[in-house]
Amino acid sequence: MSGAPQGFSEIKLIDPFEIHTGPVWRKDGTYAFRVAEHHCNMRGVVHGGMLMTLADMTLGGAVWDATDREPSVTLNMQTQFLKPAKAGDLIEVTPELTRRTRGFVFMRGDFKVGGETVMTVQSVWKLLGKD
Amino acid sequence: MDTALNRLPEGAEDISTGGFNRFAGPFYRLPDEGAVRRFAFAALEKHMNGAGTVHGGLLMTFADIAMSRTSRLASGAKSCSTVSLNCDFVGPGRLGDIVEIRVSVSRQTRTLVFLTAVVFCGERVVMNASGLWRIA
Repeated sequence: MSGAPQGFSEIKLIDPFEIHTGPVWRKDGTYAFRVAEHHCNMRGVVHGGMLMTLADMTLGGAVWDATDREPSVTLNMQTQFLKPAKAGDLIEVTPELTRRTRGFVFMRGDFKVGGETVMTVQSVWKLLGKD
Repeated sequence: MDTALNRLPEGAEDISTGGFNRFAGPFYRLPDEGAVRRFAFAALEKHMNGAGTVHGGLLMTFADIAMSRTSRLASGAKSCSTVSLNCDFVGPGRLGDIVEIRVSVSRQTRTLVFLTAVVFCGERVVMNASGLWRIA
């Protein structure tokens, strides 16, 4: 349950809850996450809460990049769980920016294991402005 | 132990028996209020984001745990899985807050449970959630 996939490097996490649940790796616009036992529920599948935390981290990271590092907060997240993922699975997502306005960013992402989508997410982010 | 845990409401029962539930928790079940199922956690340092508020991922985890548990209680099924979950982040939770969720069943069919929930810090709404669970 170890290292980064080829060509990916670990991203520096700052939020205590993200440090607690990570690590997350990145290569260009794609993020990767390896499911460990402690991310799973008692049925041995990755917990929905862990997947939504991963969505918040990665879509938030993409907002940060797309806005040239403008702080933002999650306003809304809509999640659909299509298929279970298990310990050992590598989950990958390439977040997509659907629309950006002066105050908001609309994001979406398909989270995949081996090319198959396990979760789809849409989220709205409020930009807080730069100092 | 963190002092916030000492401020949990009376009758709080730890439901974080293992897995991610325990890793992210602890989470507690509170006594029902009529048909409303209630759960709580104390916001600890590990639950925070860099801005000093409770992380959205942890709030969604809390909702998923409470709403999944409510689906099982309503249906009597051993396990229920989340099909979809929609969360609106209404306001921030802070370190040391006792965060409570109140979950209601909108409709139950043979195979599905429709739920709504509101997350509070005291009287203040922190998150609205609604979702759909499949009875396994």
